[in-house]
Amino acid sequence: MSERLDIDAVRSRFLNEVFDEQQFELTAEQIADYACACGELAPRYTKPDHPDFQAPPTFPSSFRPTRRLPEDFPKLPGLGMDAGKAVAPRLPIRPGVRLTARTHLHDVYAKTGRSGRMTFMVTRMEIFDPDEVLLASADTRIVIREKPES
Amino acid sequence: MTLEGGMTLDLHTHSVKSDDGRARVRNYCQWIRTRNIPIDGFVLTEHRQFDAESDYADLSREFDLAILKGSEVETEYGHVLVFGVTEALRRAFDFSDIHLPLARVIEACEAHGAVPVPCHPGRPRVGMHAHLESLGIPEGVRIVEIYNGGSREGEDSIAQAMADAHGWRGIGGSDAHIVSHIGRCATRFSARLADERELVDALLAGEFQALTNREQP
Repeated sequence: MSERLDIDAVRSRFLNEVFDEQQFELTAEQIADYACACGELAPRYTKPDHPDFQAPPTFPSSFRPTRRLPEDFPKLPGLGMDAGKAVAPRLPIRPGVRLTARTHLHDVYAKTGRSGRMTFMVTRMEIFDPDEVLLASADTRIVIREKPES
Repeated sequence: MTLEGGMTLDLHTHSVKSDDGRARVRNYCQWIRTRNIPIDGFVLTEHRQFDAESDYADLSREFDLAILKGSEVETEYGHVLVFGVTEALRRAFDFSDIHLPLARVIEACEAHGAVPVPCHPGRPRVGMHAHLESLGIPEGVRIVEIYNGGSREGEDSIAQAMADAHGWRGIGGSDAHIVSHIGRCATRFSARLADERELVDALLAGEFQALTNREQP
């Protein structure tokens, strides 16, 4: 079996250190396309000419950092699988605004279940406007299911 | 044994405070009332932690439901519910440690007036039954969860047989992580319980009966 991840060591070395930063702008078309693809009907998400036009709250879950985990992160002892996403919207994200997305490792923990031990890594992307106001955060959870010993 | 009067509590539930919980506490309350789930309250047993910060007193009043708090920790014998968590108990061991020695959890619970209850003991790997052959019968277990709402076929039967064999009492809990699972299993008490302290007293007195609303295979 692959060697287990040393969770304490990983936490102490990597937690809360920003490992990716990107700047970008969203277009009204991108936002409206995403909203329509989600089946959204509210005009403030689907109609760019709406006075309160903004990205749907889940939109930040589609942003991706350039790397999944920090550089020099230990080799994962198994196949990392998507274990879910969570978005915490705070303020509207609007088109044409320069956004900065910074990603850090937010949590690493282990749990046991029917299938054995699982290790979870939670990366958090925080999205800021040009005034460094936090607009939203998006967590991505990766799970590694370790092979059972028996 | 049939217990008249008293109250029925789901002793094993998880809210969004647990990493895999998808239910908000308010939504549990709404579900119980709108679907007439036959329980008078529930205990939030969040995974590997004790949620000291949340205050559900307003929700409890609004829905006339008892909302108590406990924990579910992880040991070499599998998962264990802990009722009657105090600050002193939280200092006694690391709730987030997934390799807690069961003996230490039991000892700490006894020292601080809490009650440990191995849960879903018939479940592979995280249930106590899976470890009895290799680790032996643990000292100090008095109560186990014999009805678990997430059990697969045969797992509750294993738990009941094990409890019978060792003279352990049995409780029931849904192990709900989503609202529609709350109340699948529960525990009937002979008295009304106002808080975690009274829950501990009732468990120690043995005045309860495990209930299940699921069909048992």
